[in-house]
Amino acid sequence: MKLLLANTWLPTSAELHLFSPELVLTGTIVAVLLVALVAGRRPQLSAMIALLGALLGVLATAHVARVVGDGGLGGLAPPGEPPMLIADRFSVFFKLFLFVLLAAIIWLWLTGTIERRMRATSRPVGDVGGPEFFVLLLTSALGMMLMVGSLNLLVIIIAMETASLPSYAIVAADRRSRLGAEAALKYVLFGAASAAIMVYGVSLLYGRFGTLDLGAVAQASSLWSHQQDAGATGTDWLFCLGLAALGVGVVFKIAAVPMHYWCPDVFEGAPIEITTWLSIASKAAGLGLLLRIVTTLGGAAAGGTHHTELLAWAIGILAAVTCTVGNLAALRQESVKRILAYSSIAHAGYMMMAAAILVAPAGTAANVGISAVVAYLLVYLLMNVGAFGAAALVTWHAGTDHLSAFTGLGRRAPWIAVPLAVCLFSLVGLPPLGGFAAKWFLLVALGTSAAAQPWLWGLVVIAVVNTAISLYYYVRIIRQMFLTDDATLPRLQVPFGGLALVNVCAVVILLIGTLWFSPLGERAGRLASNLYVQPTPPALTLQP
Amino acid sequence: MLAAHLLVGALLFALGLVGFVTRRNLIIIFLCTEMMFQGIILNLVAFGRYPLEGPPTFDGQVFSLFLIAVAAAEAALGLALVVLLYRHRGTLDAGAWTTLRDE
Repeated sequence: MKLLLANTWLPTSAELHLFSPELVLTGTIVAVLLVALVAGRRPQLSAMIALLGALLGVLATAHVARVVGDGGLGGLAPPGEPPMLIADRFSVFFKLFLFVLLAAIIWLWLTGTIERRMRATSRPVGDVGGPEFFVLLLTSALGMMLMVGSLNLLVIIIAMETASLPSYAIVAADRRSRLGAEAALKYVLFGAASAAIMVYGVSLLYGRFGTLDLGAVAQASSLWSHQQDAGATGTDWLFCLGLAALGVGVVFKIAAVPMHYWCPDVFEGAPIEITTWLSIASKAAGLGLLLRIVTTLGGAAAGGTHHTELLAWAIGILAAVTCTVGNLAALRQESVKRILAYSSIAHAGYMMMAAAILVAPAGTAANVGISAVVAYLLVYLLMNVGAFGAAALVTWHAGTDHLSAFTGLGRRAPWIAVPLAVCLFSLVGLPPLGGFAAKWFLLVALGTSAAAQPWLWGLVVIAVVNTAISLYYYVRIIRQMFLTDDATLPRLQVPFGGLALVNVCAVVILLIGTLWFSPLGERAGRLASNLYVQPTPPALTLQP
Repeated sequence: MLAAHLLVGALLFALGLVGFVTRRNLIIIFLCTEMMFQGIILNLVAFGRYPLEGPPTFDGQVFSLFLIAVAAAEAALGLALVVLLYRHRGTLDAGAWTTLRDE
């Protein structure tokens, strides 16, 4: 036994320390299950444990953030081997992001249960909850954290499935809801097919390069490109096919065109807490993974290769089409959930634009794109929690999320209507709100990188035009709240917890747009500063 | 040897994909996704045994073990959902579920 252990690699406690957020989350999942076993089925107790776990996770992540300073990154692997999991500032940001979001979602759920108990008879759709609800929620969070924290294709696939499978189930958490069941069906079908295509792509990449480490894949690929004869236009078809198939899975997670069809249907059918969760977390994790992949490929391809150029074009075109399709489709929706679903597709498109920068030849450009996306995601979290939270409060009260439920909200519930209006204007990107800061950093990042790649100016133009289009449907909701009224409609009684959530979001959005404008940019810039980059093995160094 | 394995793998995957797109019965659709996964697993094992460059590695076989577990989890979830859907509508036809759509 002793001999066996002597030859087995075990992670050191310092290494495990770096992954304490994941361990805390796993512990919380087990705790929720075990406590339910002892104390019986008490949804509020499960929610409290999950909330506690999320807050502990924030503490653990803050601790890791201090350890992971500049150059202090770590991986979970035997010495000399490429890491299975990595901890750098970029992944730490996503962990913190997901924990905060998790806490907000559980808070929203708690508010919802109070609300549901108040009007138990009037609601057609049953409540969701119980230990399994929180286990599924936390497990999908765990998968999303791992998605952003790895460069190993096996871990990426397993993380992706860990994030996806609970999400499918949780969409149908309300077993009496037909819409929920239909949404889960559509989600599972799209998800299973895109996951299969993605894994097929991974099998091709593995076959082409004989390794599952994405860093090694990137280096081998760039070496291959540079070894081609002077023209350097040879195309590695197996690599491109594998990468494209891998991209299908990532694009599905982001809900970008052409894998966006599931998004509005699932968002409409799911319980609104879960809609909020999926619209932010799933997109953030997908974008994090996309950034991780393209920075690795772009970073290894010194000076850019034929392949990275193709990749940048593909991402740029997809991003442009995604935000245009999202905005145009949102124009003719009547359901607020669907409007916000299409708006989330459009915002995913804006953020994907920054991913097109990352394979730019200029060495410093990589950081610009990452910090732009990080800043955008942070603001996007606040805007979407605020908007969906406010929509949830109205939906619980009215029993529908149709636009007409928002009539006269400015009089009936000013403490919902005003923060909702702030969030919606911020989603448009109007100053002096956080959404403007986010779009500003994005456009500046695109503009500075356009020196090397002039076609990025096209993306800037498309983003600006789309912002103008999006004004129409956001303002439609605001007009419904403030300019139309029906005197017969009573004032809304809403729980204090929900009001606190949406108002805090609105205030922070205002602060980011004004006082915290430049601090946001600085922080986001620092987050991109110590991205994990695989050290180049001596055998693979490039000949000039 | 590699080409033959890859061909069978690609065939399984393609058959699964075609069935996934064309079939209406929910159980058959989920079986088709399973078939896609079997094609992938064959691919991975073949690439591990007969690599295009370098010595054979075990990565592909390890990956396929994980994938078997993933496919099983997905099938369990899918079948549970089929039961739920059948209780709602009493049919296994995927075309019966069209309530959620753009107006």
